[in-house]
Amino acid sequence: MKVPVSWLNEYVDVADLSVKELSDKLTFAGIEVEGVETVGALLDDNFVVGEVVACERHPNADRLSVCRVSDGAEEWQVVCGAPNVRSGLKVAFAKIGAVVPEGGFVIKRAKLRGVESFGMICSARELQLSEDHEGIMELDGALVAGTLLREVLPAPETVFDLEITWNRSDCLSIIGVAREFAAVLKRELRLPSVDFSEAGEPASSFAKVVVEDTVGCPRYTARILQGIKDRPSPAWMSRRLELCGVRSLGLTVDVTNYVMLECGQPLHAFDYTTLAERTIVVRRARQGEELTTIDGEVRRLDTDMVVIADAVRATAIAGVMGGEATEVTGTTSNVLLESATFAAPSIKATATKLGMRSESSHRFERTVDGELADWGSRRAAALLVELGGATAAPGVIDIDNRKAKSTTVALRFKRARDVIGVELGDDAMVEILERLGFVVTERDGVRGVFKVPSWRCDIELEADLIEEVARMHGLDAIPERAPVAVVSSDNDEPFRARAKCRATLTSLGFTEAMHYSFLSAAELDAFDKRSGAGRLVLPNPVSADYAVMRDSLLPQMVGTLGRNASRQVMSCALFEMGRVFGNSSGHPWEEERVALGILGAVGRGKLDLRRPVKNDEAVLWLRGALEALAVKLHAGRVELRGCEHPAMEKGWAFEIVIDGKMTGVMGAISGALRHQWRLTAPMVVAELQAEVLLANSFARGVLQDVPTFPAVRRDVAFLISESVTHEAIVGCIKKVAPQELTGVEIFDMFNLVESGVVLRSVGYALEFRSTSRTLTDNEVNKAIEKVMQALKDELKVVIRDK
Amino acid sequence: MTLAELEQSYGESMAAVRDATDATALDQVRVRYVGRNGLIPALVKQMKDVPAADRPAFGKRLQTWRAELEELLEARKGEVAAPVASGPVFDATLPGQWSVPGVEHPVTQVIAEVARIFGKLGFTVADGPDVETRFNNFTALNTAAHHPSMDAADTFWFDDDLLLRTQTSPVQVRVMTAHKPPVRIITPGRCYRRDTTDATHSANFHQTEGLYVDTRPVSLADLKSTLAYFAREMMGSKVGVRFRPHFFPFTEPSVEVDFSCHICGGSGCRVCKQSGWIEIAGAGMVDPRVYRFVGYDPEEVYGYAFGMGVERIAMIKYGIKDIRHLYENDVRFLSQFG
Repeated sequence: MKVPVSWLNEYVDVADLSVKELSDKLTFAGIEVEGVETVGALLDDNFVVGEVVACERHPNADRLSVCRVSDGAEEWQVVCGAPNVRSGLKVAFAKIGAVVPEGGFVIKRAKLRGVESFGMICSARELQLSEDHEGIMELDGALVAGTLLREVLPAPETVFDLEITWNRSDCLSIIGVAREFAAVLKRELRLPSVDFSEAGEPASSFAKVVVEDTVGCPRYTARILQGIKDRPSPAWMSRRLELCGVRSLGLTVDVTNYVMLECGQPLHAFDYTTLAERTIVVRRARQGEELTTIDGEVRRLDTDMVVIADAVRATAIAGVMGGEATEVTGTTSNVLLESATFAAPSIKATATKLGMRSESSHRFERTVDGELADWGSRRAAALLVELGGATAAPGVIDIDNRKAKSTTVALRFKRARDVIGVELGDDAMVEILERLGFVVTERDGVRGVFKVPSWRCDIELEADLIEEVARMHGLDAIPERAPVAVVSSDNDEPFRARAKCRATLTSLGFTEAMHYSFLSAAELDAFDKRSGAGRLVLPNPVSADYAVMRDSLLPQMVGTLGRNASRQVMSCALFEMGRVFGNSSGHPWEEERVALGILGAVGRGKLDLRRPVKNDEAVLWLRGALEALAVKLHAGRVELRGCEHPAMEKGWAFEIVIDGKMTGVMGAISGALRHQWRLTAPMVVAELQAEVLLANSFARGVLQDVPTFPAVRRDVAFLISESVTHEAIVGCIKKVAPQELTGVEIFDMFNLVESGVVLRSVGYALEFRSTSRTLTDNEVNKAIEKVMQALKDELKVVIRDK
Repeated sequence: MTLAELEQSYGESMAAVRDATDATALDQVRVRYVGRNGLIPALVKQMKDVPAADRPAFGKRLQTWRAELEELLEARKGEVAAPVASGPVFDATLPGQWSVPGVEHPVTQVIAEVARIFGKLGFTVADGPDVETRFNNFTALNTAAHHPSMDAADTFWFDDDLLLRTQTSPVQVRVMTAHKPPVRIITPGRCYRRDTTDATHSANFHQTEGLYVDTRPVSLADLKSTLAYFAREMMGSKVGVRFRPHFFPFTEPSVEVDFSCHICGGSGCRVCKQSGWIEIAGAGMVDPRVYRFVGYDPEEVYGYAFGMGVERIAMIKYGIKDIRHLYENDVRFLSQFG
């Protein structure tokens, strides 16, 4: 909200304070200063009233004029580009040497399209008076050329742009802010006069007001003003409106706007003669009822909306915007002046539904003091009588259905001290509240009971009073001490388990990525269409790019790997821990996942980076990382089972089974998906349910004794069909070996072609160890023989010739 | 030769092996001591001349001598081996061969830091779902039905009841509803608002709330003291805090919390927009109406709550100029947070 300091100064003395002091006072009263703007600039003697003595077309340019401008003493040739320049006009003239406020450039002798120019005729924007740059300023014809501009133009103004918090609707006005200043500065608040003379028949004889919806409209007042002379508003008024960002539209409308800005009461003036049967009905709109508002839009209304109607039709959307048919025009001389109180929730709902926001709805949505309806009406009537020569019909039609007109709240002084944490005397608290307009109705050594001023609609509870005391006493006065720590035995394992998982993954070389929880349906579809129906869709997304809650972390992981590759990050290992979402027949669900993704030769040494990475290599790297993670988190054995996945290459998609539980999916991303990044290298990703992975993060097994007897290690090597898995080989070995077999590790594997048949050569290191004695060669040899026999019998291995 | 002389020769032989600087010298030592006509074989032959009483010890010592010497000779052979002209020359300037660790996301790092700092004061991390109810996200937090934060323009609603939480405060509601006071939690987590993304706004962001409710008086001064401690731990020992009055539906009194600028120390710079202060958090004493919603008796409890944006802290602490960098996941950006 814009607050010009000069206007503020009308109600409380603030002109003696610097902008910085004013800002600080506002800030620490709880009103945020969003900006401070200076309108108009201090103009030196180089800026004078000029008179355009002659004006001709520029010989070489259609849009330029060549003028002779008198500065009172001399005449200057000036080239001017404004469309409205003409002979006889009084203008704002900047002489050679003047520094133009907007842009800060110096006026010099110049040649424009071959014609010399000695000075500049200014627009309002160039003098920082307004945004107007349509043409040059046209000054009052009565001014004398040569008069210093600063003597005839308004002085520079400081305008605060304030952010008023939602609860402080009373500060949505100049007087509201002034009242706050008066309390902070302990200065007097001066309110303008609302007295005016009345004449003729009483207001009630001119119109009938019926309030049908007393909930939506607790108070409705109407005044009748006749014979208003249509004239522009006085300069001071239109200037103030302009400083507050409101366009001047003629006296009647200006007065309603002015009073709203001044005191916070939105007003509406109806052209009295247009009201059917001179009747005002405040009622709910009819379903589908239409109304053309003053902005020319046709609004379709519904029964939740409150309208102001005449005997026939809706004429205004209550508290939001007036209707075109009954609006005040240049020929209107008789008005019905509405000053009403509308319930905040209703206005809020209506404005939201219609997508309309007005200065009026902005205030009503936040609650307007019901007492203000009459004061605002009087103030506007007084101005219309004074400035517009209006005749006010005696009295006011006032339909007042407000429930409680005043509230009282008790404050326990000790409670206040306890909550604020300062030693503040009872008297000091009472003094603060009185300064803010609260009235003590009862008081003893324990508590005070305060009548809440009508404008403080936000005060309901003791806590609200405590806030007032804390704020006015000064939050800076609240002491800082050593913080109090307590010993907590609350369970923080879930958080620590996540931290452990992250620490493990980073130690394994994975960097953490973080993506939005939503993405486009297209991205999800490209990855896996199968989940379509079970997705959680945002009904009102910011854009289609963020329209669906992710049901997997992998689409974004793939995108990020690809994007990094396209930025020449040739190898990366990423992980993300985050939630995924879904919708199971109307019931949203969410679950935490861990995703991993690798691209490039991440598992290789630095001296071997150029050799192309193959799928099997990359899949085993990621499997290795999963195994390491599972070890660290005590999650159990990791198994991969082949499966099908639309985003993954055929034969390269796997279900991840951890400790026997289906936990996730892993695989090499299909060429089609990689194609958008022009990636030929494999990209391998995995996604797991965090719950399974983290369930035993801090489990501890039973400590095993370090073996005391030496181990005997034997290597066996053989040829075997490609179709026999490592798992099968190990299983076979374990099945027949004695319990002293303590380890089976593959140490070598390659394929060779023997008489046209692909065979796999594998080497296994077997470790035997007893917990009670040293094993003899003989025993181990026997065990090995048994193993080899079993491998030959069951898996048809061929023992390699040495 | 006596035992003592034997020991001396032993010492000499070991030293000779150690001192040998090349393969030739080493071989000469070998020949001198263990060659066919070397000292040790010669001494073995002379065993018969050793007095009978000393003979076993003498013999044993000869054996160990020989063994040790040969072991040392073998070990040194590698060291003095003449470089073979065609063999590889080791280049110690090559990069090391070990996997490079990854980096946690800066948002995670800030959350971890917040948890560490408040953990020292006895706060425990609590969490709740991203998809929340109107009651937990708004109603129980005393947000009027016509408060603008409820707008479809600001909040992602799924239906009349369910929404993406706009703040982590609903976790307070969940925890208080389930536990009696004292409650001392921080609640880092993801939140969503229908903001158009720009350099400082993101529709998807993180917050962390803190809540302390107790049956003995807890004051604004306690809140200030706690946040001042947090400010020093998070941003540096010289950083201070100030409160400005504000409004939040769920606290009363409500304040906004500024930290003095950790870059300029308060004199004004680009980071603090010349003000010397940086807005960090919203805070206040829990509104009594909130206590009623969660089933606490407002007369029996005192408490404060605070909330802050994690990305914002990360941006201020690490000098990140655009919030979008945090969700871009460019490895060249992320790897700088190691």
